[in-house]
Amino acid sequence: MDQSEIDALLAGGGKSTKKPKAATKPPAGAPDPAPPPVRSTVASEPHKDGSGHVISELDTVTSVTERETNKVLDQLDEISRLVARQQKLVTDMMGQEGAQNAGVQQAIHEVMSASKEIQDKVFEAMDLMQFQDITRQKLERIVYHLRQIHDYIVDLLGTGVKSDAERPSISHTIAQTGTTPDENKAHADAVIEAFKTQKKG
Amino acid sequence: MKILIVDDSSTMRRIIINTLSRIGYTDVVEGENGKSGLEKLGQGGVEMIITDWNMPEMDGLEFVKTVRGQNPVIPILMVTTNAAKEDIVEALQAGVNNYVVKPFTPETLKEKIESLLG
Repeated sequence: MDQSEIDALLAGGGKSTKKPKAATKPPAGAPDPAPPPVRSTVASEPHKDGSGHVISELDTVTSVTERETNKVLDQLDEISRLVARQQKLVTDMMGQEGAQNAGVQQAIHEVMSASKEIQDKVFEAMDLMQFQDITRQKLERIVYHLRQIHDYIVDLLGTGVKSDAERPSISHTIAQTGTTPDENKAHADAVIEAFKTQKKG
Repeated sequence: MKILIVDDSSTMRRIIINTLSRIGYTDVVEGENGKSGLEKLGQGGVEMIITDWNMPEMDGLEFVKTVRGQNPVIPILMVTTNAAKEDIVEALQAGVNNYVVKPFTPETLKEKIESLLG
């Protein structure tokens, strides 16, 4: 049951709006059920910006994930700032009386070493946030194709509004999911080298 | 050294800025597409450009061609998801000096920047 059904149930004083049984999961071994019918509003009522509901949803997903990724980066920046402050405090402590004691020196060394490890992990996590931009561009590519289908149907039926929003150019050649940064680098470097050699010759 | 970063993703700009600061480059200006990149470049002082390819209004390739029409020597590094050989060659022909495919490691970015400045 989704939220709209719960809301309808509450508004209707307990009268259930539950989907028919056919929509529930079939028993194991049963043939795949037909996909649920697409709500007519999706196909016949484009959004006021001229795009369909799905396209609009995907646009929302990309902007929300970008915003939320920036929040994660804010937190990582804050951790990084706190670790730097901790390192400075420890460094200051080293000048204090008694800090030359072997046990204290050992403890300070361990704290500094752990701090550096945290800092490295924070930087690593920041670098991993590149996934957001790559995912965004993959969604942009899906949106691009959906818009083409949408416009084709509008042309075919002679009704509806064609998409006209300004879109970024899309990448048709994003590296395959799972390709490592090192593989990407080796590939690009090989092409650059071949280009330079060809230019010289 | 002032570096211009042109990318429509605020996340990616932050990641690049962060990587640059770790390798000692903290003087950075940002543009969110080719058009705003040209504006920032026009304000002067930029000694190197790092640009994305796929952006609204003016994409990275058009941006590079426009920059090269005005400035044939400024180092340009393209950092993009476009990974095909033809894309890399097209970018090199347009005038980029080096090319990085996303996702990249900080070491790769450092190596490419140093090779452009060295």
